[in-house]
Amino acid sequence: MNVIVMGCGRIGTQVATSLWRDGHRVTVLDTVPESFLSLPRELREMEGATIVCDGILEEELIAAGIQEADVFVAVSNRDNRNALAAQRAKHIFNVQNVVCRVGDLERQEMYNQLGLAAVSPTKITSALILEAVFP
Amino acid sequence: MYIVVIGAGRVGFFLVRALFNAGHEVFIVERNERRVDELVQQFGNVAIKGDGSEPIIQMAAGVARADILIATTGADEDNLAACQLAKHRFNVPKTVTLINSPEDERLFELLGVDVVVSSTQLLLGAIEEELPAHSKAHVLPVRGNREAATIEVSQGSPVIGQRLRSIDLPPDTYVLAVIGRDGSLKDINDNTTLELHDEVVAMTATDQAEALLEVLSAGR
Repeated sequence: MNVIVMGCGRIGTQVATSLWRDGHRVTVLDTVPESFLSLPRELREMEGATIVCDGILEEELIAAGIQEADVFVAVSNRDNRNALAAQRAKHIFNVQNVVCRVGDLERQEMYNQLGLAAVSPTKITSALILEAVFP
Repeated sequence: MYIVVIGAGRVGFFLVRALFNAGHEVFIVERNERRVDELVQQFGNVAIKGDGSEPIIQMAAGVARADILIATTGADEDNLAACQLAKHRFNVPKTVTLINSPEDERLFELLGVDVVVSSTQLLLGAIEEELPAHSKAHVLPVRGNREAATIEVSQGSPVIGQRLRSIDLPPDTYVLAVIGRDGSLKDINDNTTLELHDEVVAMTATDQAEALLEVLSAGR
């Protein structure tokens, strides 16, 4: 599958690397070129695998190959950017599978209700911590 | 009416003042502490510092009882998030947003923002109204320092209703065709007259193109 990962922090790196190892075609976007250093060398040195941009503009998404993308994952550290880019991918470019990272719990629920798959690291991490404390 | 404004930069500040002057109850959420202080000094205790796309801040600003929420921050993504939260969490009847990137207009409307104001579109519209001639002309460079130009006879042009032969064209200019507003080719003869929205296809010298444009389109 063709996958675009917006944001190359810890989560973006993890998601991009593991999809790439599974044989998918991955394009990673980030505003800071140094953040790509966390990707495996072979991946980050591939032609077109990394693009320096924040990924919220149409032209940036088109350059990243959104028109052929099957999956769009918005996991930058900015909730609002993730939500805008993910909704653009879903409603303007009709990407089949769109997932968006939203830290705030209330907004994560709101986006889910609006039909946008949103994941909250806060929710998942705190649940895991509670489980570790009270197994 | 109770109106919550998210973001009080230049646009937001004057908007807030106008809303107060019109007699509305206004509350402002602004990220920058200094701007919040200025607002409080000028209008009283009607502003808080915070991220207007956070639920807890919208709650503190009383968005739940707002009639209108207006987002005027400089970032389209923050404006969208504030409007969606207001609409879907706090059931605000009307959300209004300013956008910078014109492409966001379609998406934001699709996502249920009630009024989308594009600053870029507004400026472009104003410029095009000032320069009707330039928005309607298409020019193709041709060999020998000539140009083939298609120019629309626009509103206010002095040649509307005039016979083609009687129009004083610049030197080295030949009218090749006239296309009526319905798309049909007009016969060119002594009786051909030009009408509003006709398109004149002409060959002219490169240095005469501006002059031709001025003859055919409304004076600037």
